Amino acid sequence: MKGNDQDEVKAGNAGGNVGRRSFLKGALAVGAVATGGFALNMAVPGLAEAAKRPLPKKWDETIDVVVIGSGFAGWSAAAQAAIGGAKAVVIEKMPTYGGNSIINGGVYASYDDKFHYRQKMGLGDDSPELHMQDTLKGGDFFSIPALAKVLAEGATDGLNWMIDDGGAVIRPTVVRAGGHSAYRTHAAGIGKVYVDALKRIAEKNGAQIRLNTAVTWIWRADADPKSPVLGVEVKSGRKISNIKVGKGLILASGGFSRDVKMRGDHYPFLSGENWNCTNHPGATGEMIRFAQSVGADTLQMNYIQLYPYADPETGILDTPALIPFNGPGNGIVYVTKQGKRFISELARRDHVSFAQIGLGPQGKPTYTIFGDDMVEKMGFTKGEIEAGLKKGRLVVGNTIAEVAQKAGLPQDALVETIDKHNKYLAEGKDPEFNKPITKAMLPMTKGPFYAVAQWPAIHHTMGGLRINEHAQVIDIFGEVIPKLYAAGEVTGGVHGTNRLGSNAIPDCVVFGRVAGRNAAKG
Amino acid sequence: MFVMKRVVVIAIAAAVLFCLPLLTAGGGTALAAPSPKGSCKGCHADFASVLPKGHPAVKGTGLAACSSCHAPDLAAKKPENAYSVRMHRAHIPPKGKLECTACHSWVPGKSFGLIGRKGSFGKPDKEQMELLKEIFASWASSGYTDSLHAEAGIACSQCHGKGLPTFDDTVENAGCLKCHGPMEELAKKTEPKEFKDRNPHKSHLGDIACTVCHKGHMESKVYCLDCHKQFGMKIQGAAKK
Ligand SMILES: Cc1cc2nc3c(=O)[nH]c(=O)nc-3n(C[C@H](O)[C@H](O)[C@H](O)COP(=O)(O)OP(=O)(O)OC[C@H]3O[C@@H](n4cnc5c(N)ncnc54)[C@H](O)[C@@H]3O)c2cc1C
Repeated sequence: MKGNDQDEVKAGNAGGNVGRRSFLKGALAVGAVATGGFALNMAVPGLAEAAKRPLPKKWDETIDVVVIGSGFAGWSAAAQAAIGGAKAVVIEKMPTYGGNSIINGGVYASYDDKFHYRQKMGLGDDSPELHMQDTLKGGDFFSIPALAKVLAEGATDGLNWMIDDGGAVIRPTVVRAGGHSAYRTHAAGIGKVYVDALKRIAEKNGAQIRLNTAVTWIWRADADPKSPVLGVEVKSGRKISNIKVGKGLILASGGFSRDVKMRGDHYPFLSGENWNCTNHPGATGEMIRFAQSVGADTLQMNYIQLYPYADPETGILDTPALIPFNGPGNGIVYVTKQGKRFISELARRDHVSFAQIGLGPQGKPTYTIFGDDMVEKMGFTKGEIEAGLKKGRLVVGNTIAEVAQKAGLPQDALVETIDKHNKYLAEGKDPEFNKPITKAMLPMTKGPFYAVAQWPAIHHTMGGLRINEHAQVIDIFGEVIPKLYAAGEVTGGVHGTNRLGSNAIPDCVVFGRVAGRNAAKG
Repeated sequence: MFVMKRVVVIAIAAAVLFCLPLLTAGGGTALAAPSPKGSCKGCHADFASVLPKGHPAVKGTGLAACSSCHAPDLAAKKPENAYSVRMHRAHIPPKGKLECTACHSWVPGKSFGLIGRKGSFGKPDKEQMELLKEIFASWASSGYTDSLHAEAGIACSQCHGKGLPTFDDTVENAGCLKCHGPMEELAKKTEPKEFKDRNPHKSHLGDIACTVCHKGHMESKVYCLDCHKQFGMKIQGAAKK
């Protein structure tokens, strides 16, 4: 194929004024791949990519379905693509698989599960419709409803798939978490349970993984709506090679919470290195930039979530840091250093985080107080509590006063707060913060009791690549980019301003499956 | 200095016997002039002075004098090969300064063997050869995992198997565990007294590659510390000497 000089797509400026015309005037012969011609290219001036780059002259290999990222979304996509008969390969830049997914807290929102735990425990009603409504509301109606619907409707089948085909073991309980109006959050202890289940399904069907391999570019000849992505450039050690995509390229590269520049560019309040972050170090946004460089649209990049309950010192979301999230439906109480409540424990994450930030730096940390009888109902084991105690992440006391003393809180104030909260539970009404009271919330009358310290840390990026309900990536003109799919945290528009806790796993699994199925069809 | 100490213990014969002329000449850095291919005469008037104690007398002035007994291990069958390790370390930096082709025959992209002997270890092209040289130098003296192995008399093939390692070669866990395993034993050794789950050999990340932390030819790093900055774990092969 041959583009005449004038028509070749040149490297644009970063914030460039590359108009639709210059896009579409790119090299013309769609489909006549890899025989010269220049690549669509909008990299930052000065970067290697910014040079007017010819498309690879030859491809080192061809793979049906190339999946970028080995978290929930990537493995789900690879599994489903392999089941659909495609050769699927997962590309992962880190030396270990799993991204944020393998360190995740294992809570999964779904209106039902094959064991029907919610029904068996008498925890009330739920439906996919209600799940969708909560998701829209919890994100201030900034979500694209069609996407939220796919999540809510596919969540249960995704969960059962991991249990039945992947051997995932979930804990026998369902909790009600902040922003959810039903008991629908399932617990597995840690996200690795699901990652390994998905990996098993994928590998059993022939999918493979390559670790230590970073995608460094996406190849597309031009932005004509009929022009598919052609392949990717990957770097493994010192070796750079080009993979041609046979049927589909699936971006499942996760969020960008660790990308200091990207998060600061979109949400200046979170700029700089000084924020704690719950994510793995590989949670950076280069795949979003590469996709933008070949025409992909993004949305809502400025919605970045703080996890309100991270370890105040390290920002890590360990098992103790999950208790404040899992526990509101079982009666836990959040208090300030003064031993006073400051918000409804069933509030959304963004509200809880900003209530804490509003206390000022001297308000750090706040605490969650809970009782021993809640532990298993919240989805934890006694062993996990003991480990938390040994590491100094939890303190324990036989009375509320003793817990207060060990945590360094004013004893009288904490005793009064808990007494009052017990009374609210008995009366079924929280006049202070209007928390909806349920029967599953236990009063703290009999010890031992525990306290865990908490503080916000950067956690989840709601924005990202624009997709439709088939997980196809949409370009800046509203057209589908042929052969390009995205799923999981790399996408935007599913959660709006604020992702409800336990909604990310179903998002990744459900859209990963959709992407894998569609990509395999070619 | 750190490397030197160990070398003295492990490879004293090599360091002193093979390189005596070099060491005295200038801190062990330079050969006066490269020998003609396959000949040792330029530096070693005779071999008597460089042979390990108890070694039978050797006749001749060339490579063949050694390789007639110490045949190249083309099949990578020898579990250890102290001869090869000592010879290499004695003649490449920092101890010596010989080019590979002083002893090896090399036709780029076609073969790589020992001068005067049949057989080939592989087909390195120019680019691969550069990489091999770089990695070999690291093996000889870097202070990384590779040179810790060199000091213990372990050559490339014991980790990488038969043939010259290629560009994207790695070492699978099974390879490391042949000597260092089984994994459960390793995990037992590194289990912290207080927090048993903070065990680098029993990570919450599951079955991970040894090379995630233990890099062969680069600085080794405790991967855990990327997130758990407060753990204060240490690893061998971390610092450049
Ligand atoms: C500590 C923690 C706990 C959480 N707990 C929960 C929970 O309990 N429930 C819930 O619903 N959500 C939870 N979340 C959110 C959820 O885990 C994430 O949104 C989810 O894991 C994202 O999955 P993913 O597949 O999209 O991306 P990831 O799992 O992050 O995987 C993306 C992968 O892509 C790789 N990658 C990126 N760029 C490239 C490139 N250029 N080349 C090659 N590879 C690349 C990354 O290295 C990474 O491994 C938690 C998040 C964190 C950080």
